[in-house]
Amino acid sequence: MTQSSDIAVEVVDLAKNYGPVRALNSVSFSIEGGRYYALLGPSGGGKTTLLRLIGGFLRPSAGSVYLHGQDVSHLPPDRRPTSMVFQNYALFPHMTVERNVAYGLKLLKAPPGEIRDKVERMLGMVGLEGYNRRMPHELSGGQQQRVQLARSLVLERDILLLDEPLASLDAKLRKDMCLELKRIQEKVGITFIHVTHNQEEALTVADRIAIIADGELVEEGTARDIYETPRMRFTAEFIGDNNVLDGVVADISDGRATVDLGFARVDVAAHGLPAARGDAVALSVRSELLRIVGSGQDPEASWQLIPATYVEAIYLGLTISHLVRLPDGTEIVARVISGERSEEEFEPGSEVTMGWPGDRARLHVA
Amino acid sequence: MYDDFANPWNIRLKWLYLLGVVFALLMPVFYTIYISFNQHGFGARIYDFTFDWYRVVLGDTLLVVSLKWTVYLALAAIAATIPMALLSAKFYKRTRRKVAFVALMLSPLFVPADIMGSALLVFFKNLAIGFVWLDEALGVYWFDGWFDLGFLTALIGQVIYVHPYAFIVILITMSRYRVQQTEAARGCGATAWQAFWQVEFPQIRVGVFSSCAFVTILSFNEAVRTALLKGGFDTFSNVLVAQMLNIGMSGESYAMAGIMSIVSMLVIGSVIVFTLLRTERLERRARAMAEPVMSS
Amino acid sequence: MSSGAISGPARAGGGRDIPAPAARWRDYLGENGVQKWVFYIPVVFFLLFFAAPMALTVVWSVFERTQFWMEPGFTLFAYDNFFSSARAENYLFSMLHGAASVVIAFAIGFPIAVFIRRRVTRVAQHRVILLFILPFMISELVRVFAMRPVLGRHGIVNSLLMELGVISEPITVILYSPLGVIIGDVMSFLPFMIFAGFLALEAVQNYIFEVCDDLGTGRVRLFTHIILPLAAPGIFAGSVFIFVNSLGVALVPTLLGGPGAVNAGLIANQAIVALDFPLAMAISTIMIVTLVALLYIGHRLFDLTKVLEPIS
Repeated sequence: MTQSSDIAVEVVDLAKNYGPVRALNSVSFSIEGGRYYALLGPSGGGKTTLLRLIGGFLRPSAGSVYLHGQDVSHLPPDRRPTSMVFQNYALFPHMTVERNVAYGLKLLKAPPGEIRDKVERMLGMVGLEGYNRRMPHELSGGQQQRVQLARSLVLERDILLLDEPLASLDAKLRKDMCLELKRIQEKVGITFIHVTHNQEEALTVADRIAIIADGELVEEGTARDIYETPRMRFTAEFIGDNNVLDGVVADISDGRATVDLGFARVDVAAHGLPAARGDAVALSVRSELLRIVGSGQDPEASWQLIPATYVEAIYLGLTISHLVRLPDGTEIVARVISGERSEEEFEPGSEVTMGWPGDRARLHVA
Repeated sequence: MYDDFANPWNIRLKWLYLLGVVFALLMPVFYTIYISFNQHGFGARIYDFTFDWYRVVLGDTLLVVSLKWTVYLALAAIAATIPMALLSAKFYKRTRRKVAFVALMLSPLFVPADIMGSALLVFFKNLAIGFVWLDEALGVYWFDGWFDLGFLTALIGQVIYVHPYAFIVILITMSRYRVQQTEAARGCGATAWQAFWQVEFPQIRVGVFSSCAFVTILSFNEAVRTALLKGGFDTFSNVLVAQMLNIGMSGESYAMAGIMSIVSMLVIGSVIVFTLLRTERLERRARAMAEPVMSS
Repeated sequence: MSSGAISGPARAGGGRDIPAPAARWRDYLGENGVQKWVFYIPVVFFLLFFAAPMALTVVWSVFERTQFWMEPGFTLFAYDNFFSSARAENYLFSMLHGAASVVIAFAIGFPIAVFIRRRVTRVAQHRVILLFILPFMISELVRVFAMRPVLGRHGIVNSLLMELGVISEPITVILYSPLGVIIGDVMSFLPFMIFAGFLALEAVQNYIFEVCDDLGTGRVRLFTHIILPLAAPGIFAGSVFIFVNSLGVALVPTLLGGPGAVNAGLIANQAIVALDFPLAMAISTIMIVTLVALLYIGHRLFDLTKVLEPIS
């Protein structure tokens, strides 16, 4: 019991069925207090279901939710130490900003003076001083989400749940709000659990990320680990701009595996993964690490090289993506910052050699 | 939706047709009211305006008593139907078997008054007999008189009749409500009841009020089911039917019909005016939303 | 299975050392106790006072008639009584009237529904529909009754036509006649055809009309290929409503029909007055079977659940 004090949320074998549909499939994990935690995954993967189970908006079909070591599985949301920020439309449209934020405190029958002070302070924290008398429909989408945030934070619960809080905002505003959320979380120091399908958003805000797909917890780790060293193939395909190549283990020794891609053999660190000769595996290389090795250049010895046919360049503003086709027909992408290096121009259809630093590819056995 | 290429005269003609149909539907009622103010009644060559027939109706103790019963029944129907319609709408939102539920709730619309009334009449008589039998079997008098024809049976008949209308109106209003608001309220620490009463109800109030108006009118106008299921009293429309069938049409009948239609029109008219004013307000709000207030 | 990545110390073993909190009284009152069951009140009420009486009519219709009531038994006497008398013929006749009312109501009402949907702006649509709610909300009793001074020998229609010299003799076929019954039914139930048609068309997206204009679908084809099929569930629901009510509402033949004019509702009513309860129940049963059969056919043909789309 002693160590669970710094575990804010723990779910054990948690499952949820909607009739015959299985939305969440026996998931277990725990979250340390004071962290900013993101649940990231494709739509319909079960992440929102998981969040709503933690918040008490859904009743688990099996398993339990512990908040600070206390089993709360049977409690409704108003009796859990959580509060929730919703995607949209969740402000009370018939109340002013001030009354929205004060709602929870009024339910607690806090003295009016205290309510006023706390509301004022919280509106200041989210950057909405002077908006007290506005009605929700008079606010922009970003401001509405700030009010929601204030309404939840003012309750001083120690776990804040955010269900796609930025999904209805445009890209620019979303970026600003991400930083804002991060800043506020650091300031209040409580646990944030943030559901999103947007990887950039998750990487910006979160200390730790859990990848949720098909009702399963796929992988969990720090934002950096998830991005740079994904363990699962699904994570590699979902996060970042990874090129995933299928192959067969041709040889394994000294913690390194040689993978036969069918048209080339490459060397990759096995990281103690349970791979044996003959196993079907995948390896992933992020597109920004992949290079087109020019004819005049002489790559370092540790680089892994594969042959390819140049297809086309796609200009994306900040970056340029070079699309090439491998001998087995797979198309992969090498991404470079526009104008950073004097890039060679390649003729579509010309033969090129692709390469990456030997330790930067990841091996996936599942 | 406007078609910029449509012939305006074509459209005007269609409007004329539409208003003509509305006129044809309403004209008989207004004609009845017109006759009810004639000293000489229907068919007379001369028209002398008078309130006499209304004075006769309102001076008739029997009719005033029946009017009283009508009001009681309408009030009881509101008290029973509106909470139940709210529960039904909530139930509809959360149930998985929506089609089966809605079929059950709306099918009374499709069962004609006389058929529904007869079936309920026989049902209540059987229930009453069953309860008497139960009392005899138990040797007690607890259930004597349960479901004997009376106010309660007439009320049940009316609730079955008006509930579908109240349910639909409330459901339509509720469909504009976002469930997230209830969840947000729960997240703020509200109980289910507090979330409903403080957050959801203020937003569906209009629907609740209009369904109150509908229930009032439908209950006020109802004649057939009540005639079969009542016991010991007559409602206003019961008396009117009896008069038409037994005595024939008199100036009094026209005045009674006049009272019934004027009351209905007043109630519905005020609901319509209120709704129009409200949509006007909502539109202004929508326009305000189209030009959001920028941060100061 | 989940990979179960655990951050922080893993829980040892499966057993929790805190016992589950004992259920408190508040939990019984809460959403999983009383509050959950409160929502079943309407279902129970309608099963008890609507579905059960309707279903039981079948049982009561085969009971034995006694002098003032009936007693349990099995006899088809009531059905025999119904089918071997003029009642069956009257029932068929009132079905014919019902069908005529439906066709007329469709011809008058449906174009209005289409017009409102297609040519009136979104905001104004509901206001125009409100125009048709007003007559619908005035007592049916009064509206049917009001047809007498309109259609009668000295009624407004006859006086007007004679005044204008269109006719020299009052038209008597429009009141106290089968035609009078049909006119009464149409006047009573027409708004329902407009509502149902409009609701069905409201579910049709605007772009469908625009696509048709763009593709050059003619007026006739637009109506037969697009509007009719899309509005079919609503039209059907409206039609069944009108049909069943013209079969079942006794008021219209009573007030507007000639001598001997009846429909199912009136036969049932007369049977009740004559204290022949099994006969009344047999007629109710036949009526309900007709209704269920119609709804079943309609559902197979058009999927009536579509009518519910606007509210779901």
